[in-house]
Amino acid sequence: MVDQPAVDASGLYVSYGSTPVLIDVALQVPIGAGVCVTGENGIGKSTLLRCISSLQRPDQGRIRVFGNSPGSTPEFWRQVATTVEPPTWYPGLTVREHAELVCRAHGQDPDEAGVDAALESFGLAGHADAIPPSLSSGQKQRLTLAITLLRPSSLLILDEPEQRLDHQGRESVAAMLSQYVSNGGTLLMASHDDVFSAASGARIITMESLATPATAAP
Amino acid sequence: MTTIQQTDFGTLRRWVRRTQSEHRERGATAGNIYFTVLFIAVVGGMLHRQLAVIFWPTGPNASELAGTALVLAGVGGLFLALRRLGPLGLSRPAASWFLTAPVSRRRLLTPSLRLAAIGAGVAGALYGVAVVGHVAVRPLPGAEGALLPVAGALLGILILLAALAAQSGPTWGGGADNLAGLLLAAGLAGFVLDSVVDAPRAAASWPTGAVGIATAALALVVVALLAVAVTRLAGTPNDRILEAAKTAGTLLDAAFGVEPSFVTDMLERRYWANRRLRSTRLWGRLPILTGQDLLLVLRRPRRLAWIAGAAALPALLGHAPGWLLAAAVLIGGMIAGGVSTGNVRTDAGNPVLLRLLGLDSRSAVTQRLWVPTLLAGLWYAATLAMLDALGDLPAGPWWALGIALAPVGAVAAIRKARAGFVRNELLPLDTPMGTLSPGPLVNSVIGPDVLLLGLPALMQIAQGHPLSWTTVLVQAVVSVVGARAYISGTTAHDRVELTAAR
Repeated sequence: MVDQPAVDASGLYVSYGSTPVLIDVALQVPIGAGVCVTGENGIGKSTLLRCISSLQRPDQGRIRVFGNSPGSTPEFWRQVATTVEPPTWYPGLTVREHAELVCRAHGQDPDEAGVDAALESFGLAGHADAIPPSLSSGQKQRLTLAITLLRPSSLLILDEPEQRLDHQGRESVAAMLSQYVSNGGTLLMASHDDVFSAASGARIITMESLATPATAAP
Repeated sequence: MTTIQQTDFGTLRRWVRRTQSEHRERGATAGNIYFTVLFIAVVGGMLHRQLAVIFWPTGPNASELAGTALVLAGVGGLFLALRRLGPLGLSRPAASWFLTAPVSRRRLLTPSLRLAAIGAGVAGALYGVAVVGHVAVRPLPGAEGALLPVAGALLGILILLAALAAQSGPTWGGGADNLAGLLLAAGLAGFVLDSVVDAPRAAASWPTGAVGIATAALALVVVALLAVAVTRLAGTPNDRILEAAKTAGTLLDAAFGVEPSFVTDMLERRYWANRRLRSTRLWGRLPILTGQDLLLVLRRPRRLAWIAGAAALPALLGHAPGWLLAAAVLIGGMIAGGVSTGNVRTDAGNPVLLRLLGLDSRSAVTQRLWVPTLLAGLWYAATLAMLDALGDLPAGPWWALGIALAPVGAVAAIRKARAGFVRNELLPLDTPMGTLSPGPLVNSVIGPDVLLLGLPALMQIAQGHPLSWTTVLVQAVVSVVGARAYISGTTAHDRVELTAAR
């Protein structure tokens, strides 16, 4: 089971009405690798990530995540953390409390998990007592990323994590993702920013190349 | 400095109306008016007896205390309702296009003020008729009978003007809301007191002339203040008008989509947007989601106070048929349990955070049930103990029956919170009254349907027999078994989302 890839998708077909988006797409991401899928808008990057995250069912094809079909089981969601869909924030819970809640749900001590340090790194320390809906869209994006990175996971699936981040924010997030991969985590993301992707330690693969089976080296 | 010429708003509005009517089908407006009049006539014809009981019963049936309570609750309630609506607002398109246009602000906002004044006046007049109808001794002198509804209308407009000043005022709006809330609470407390004590009826003779003088004075005050309000109309801050426009838009969306959750979500968002919170540590010893629910409840102390006060309201039905009293008690516990279900509603609408938490749906719902169980149990116990103390119930350990009912109210509240949006895709039903969409009806019974688990308590209250510990035990067993069945049937250890994939 050592050689089993983190993500193994093949023969994926998805169409919206009469518009085909994914045609015979295949992707393998080995455990401990970072892969960044690039391509122009509308080419199907987000659709591919949604299918691998089990948030969308492909019309046809086979997907395995750590050897199992992706699904809505707690085991799957303890392994996989994703920002493919934006969250609806809990009412009356501050930014810091959201981060603490997620840490505690995973049995982590918020201080040991580094909640305050994470908020500091994402430029949210001054907003720890704010409620997330009052943040700007960029700050919300950073909070989602901060929480996703704080909790333990084996596979990160991120859809354009560099979006709405300023230059410094991009550098900081890229460094964290690089460290995540160095620590043995698997990263699959879609991005438009090659510099950010390279800094994240992810190998860049174009969507066009996925039409035939493609394998990313760790 | 560049001088910007103001556009005549009247001309602009006429142009908009003309353009809109050109896009409408011929006779569409007449058709709408016809159907509205027909609807009012049909509903009025069907409900005229019930309306008569509400507004003008065959004889006065309430004490002076109840009359005073009605007036207090009405004043507080109308002020709060007007404040929630604006009261000065614009439609969403008007707020988008006209608020930033170089048009006279006063002329832009005058129609809104006129509409609000008519609404408040009509509400005040109807309320005045109802108060007079229930309290005043018959036969009523003709002049006073006509003047009291007029005074009600004037009072309604006066309340509107106060709400208008609060909308424009920089700071005292919150204080005025608190005062109105207190008036409403005092009114409700007056009703409860009236149902307990034998309060005297209104005096047989009316102070002739006094009503006329008071109404005339009130009219003078209203006219003077209305004039001041019109001159200051242009000074209403933009943000308050935009907020009112969003409220009006959300209300329309909720009405067209028959989706009341749009309104509750908006109120919830506004409440939290205006609160300043300080991050606190979640209790490590409690299950994590239970701690979160408890924090949510403690951060809404006013809502808790209202719920605690509402425990006295079933006393109003002390002399009503037993089944009605029992139904009101059961529903009240569900509402009390619902104070903490905002988090479940969030998870049911969008499971993204649940996926981040990585908890299975059975653990999540079980953890979320504890706080509603506590709230519903306390509410049921307090209400039933109070009804027992007032002599509205026969002898027995009613407080214990309240605690036994706790899981029923909690499960009903959680089920209601998990119901999600109204399903408007359900097949419409053809009825003699026309086509009926079953979606809103189905949604409204999701939650209350679980209250059937309180059948042993309902039967006990309806029959009016002394309560035994056996009944308490039966109710406790039914409640616990029902709650466990609900959890087993609607959640799973191998699923994160609260609803199973269709």
